[in-house]
Amino acid sequence: MISIINVSKTFKGKNDVSAVKNVSLEIKDKEIFGIVGYSGAGKSTLIRLVNQLEKADSGQILIDGVDICELKGEALRKQRQEIGMIFQHFNLLWSKTVLENIMFPLVLKGLPKKEREEEAIKMAKEVGLEDKLDVYPSTLSGGQKQRVAIARALVLNPKILLCDEATSALDPKTTEEILELLKKINKEYGLTILMISHQMETIQKICHKLAVMADGKIVEQGSVDDIFANPTDPLTKELIQTVDTGVDVNKLSIELKDKYPQGHLLRITFSDKTSEKPILYSIALKLNIPINIVSANLKMTQAGSLGVIYIHIEEKKDIGPFLAELELQGLKVEVV
Amino acid sequence: MLGLLTKLKEPLIETLLLTFVPLIISVILGFLFGTLVFISSDSGIIDTSNNWGLKILNKISNAIINIFRSVPYLIILIWLLPITKLLVGRILGWQAAIPSLVVSATPFYARMTVIAFSEVNKGTIEASKALGANNFEIIFKVLLPESKPALLSSIVVTAINLISYSAMAGAIGAGGLGYEAYQYGLIRENPPLMYMATLLIVLLVFIIQFVGDLIVRKVDKR
Ligand SMILES: Nc1ncnc2c1ncn2[C@@H]1O[C@H](COP(=O)(O)OP(=O)(O)OP(=O)(O)O)[C@@H](O)[C@H]1O
Ligand SMILES: [Mg+2]
Repeated sequence: MISIINVSKTFKGKNDVSAVKNVSLEIKDKEIFGIVGYSGAGKSTLIRLVNQLEKADSGQILIDGVDICELKGEALRKQRQEIGMIFQHFNLLWSKTVLENIMFPLVLKGLPKKEREEEAIKMAKEVGLEDKLDVYPSTLSGGQKQRVAIARALVLNPKILLCDEATSALDPKTTEEILELLKKINKEYGLTILMISHQMETIQKICHKLAVMADGKIVEQGSVDDIFANPTDPLTKELIQTVDTGVDVNKLSIELKDKYPQGHLLRITFSDKTSEKPILYSIALKLNIPINIVSANLKMTQAGSLGVIYIHIEEKKDIGPFLAELELQGLKVEVV
Repeated sequence: MLGLLTKLKEPLIETLLLTFVPLIISVILGFLFGTLVFISSDSGIIDTSNNWGLKILNKISNAIINIFRSVPYLIILIWLLPITKLLVGRILGWQAAIPSLVVSATPFYARMTVIAFSEVNKGTIEASKALGANNFEIIFKVLLPESKPALLSSIVVTAINLISYSAMAGAIGAGGLGYEAYQYGLIRENPPLMYMATLLIVLLVFIIQFVGDLIVRKVDKR
């Protein structure tokens, strides 16, 4: 079990960045736990605290009762061998073959050559790379590279696997395959998996529990089913929205910005209370601002009407009062 | 022709000694020095944020590298004359040129090592750390193999630099092809000797570059 208790981390510099603020989480054994949030929310920092790639300023991270923040030197390195980690960009040893990569943790552990090879080949089979043992990773596809990374992370039989955006650099089909593999490993080995992603869809597919993170804090957590059925935080609703409609909000923003480079492009998020009234129409009428709805995505969910509308306003107009009115009505407005 | 070549045999051997003896010493020292600079920098291997000792070490070793890299070889040669006398017991002959050649090539190779290490993917270093590697293992089992092509091609560049420095070392009677070309070819007006010596130097550079490139291509797996 991993217990994260009141952990904080600030990056000191010209401008201090408070990346993780007093976060507490509990991850049970054999659970797949997802943390989702937008870029910069502090997800990577939080997951890197778990194996101490980043040192916490305060708080405790208990792994089976042992506070990893207190460990140093050899003891920390031993504990790290109990925690596998995979990354968005695979982070393989590019000068070594697939087999040598998978063997690397065993080399560090000081296993004799023959055992090393046996163990590594077994692991390579587990992830479906038995026919790639002698090739160099640069010749592999993204999915295969991540398989090497998974095999390398699991060859020491850790209890925990940390995944930092492990599928974010992969196409949807490969993502699916890697997620399936993680699911299989979780079942077979009883591995506890802590994964972070900015995509709710990824989390929803394989996680049992999830936490939503924003601005260094956990804004909501619970079982995936509960949260999807009854999200309370606006951010959670927005993230779920992207899954329901299959629209990637960030991608849509970029596409629209390309299409409407001039003028103001606004993204307005409706929540359950606001979408029943003709707010947008009446404000536009009142301020005499011609608005152009360029994309709309409203949907009924169990939590009420949720949705995002993109509107475009011509350049000359001053949109200050318009924004103020919208916010007054409880709408979330962002200038894209 | 054959007479010319036999006459140049001795200088050729001297040039080879003046290149490869300091090369071996400089590569070893430069590698160690460069490694020191790299790990004491903000490289992600050691947390330097609160370690003032390391920060100062990094600043000083960096400064040493920069100073010695910017002083022309001939000046270093002159500076080192007293030390050379102490070290090798004489200030003439090829042996006397070794300390100055090492002093000028070591900081160069140290800088090349820092550059080679900086090009190693930070994520790869981090992943090794996450797998429980200690600093020693990160240096010798991750940084070194991952930057092998760059480290090897830097050896080639250092060797070629040393050939041109060794010609200057002729000034203290270190011998070698460059000295031969200058002293006997130019001053004593023996053009065939001068051209032949120069040709040999060019050939030597070509061979080193060619063999070096071949090896680099063989070890580069990226
Ligand atoms: N080493 C560092 N030094 C200074 N600031 C940092 C460092 N690492 C992260 N930060 C800052 O901490 C905040 C959280 O970053 P973090 O990488 O944890 O976010 P994230 O949720 O993983 O985002 P992404 O989805 O983009 O990976 C950001 O504002 C980031 O700029
Ligand atoms: Mg991140």
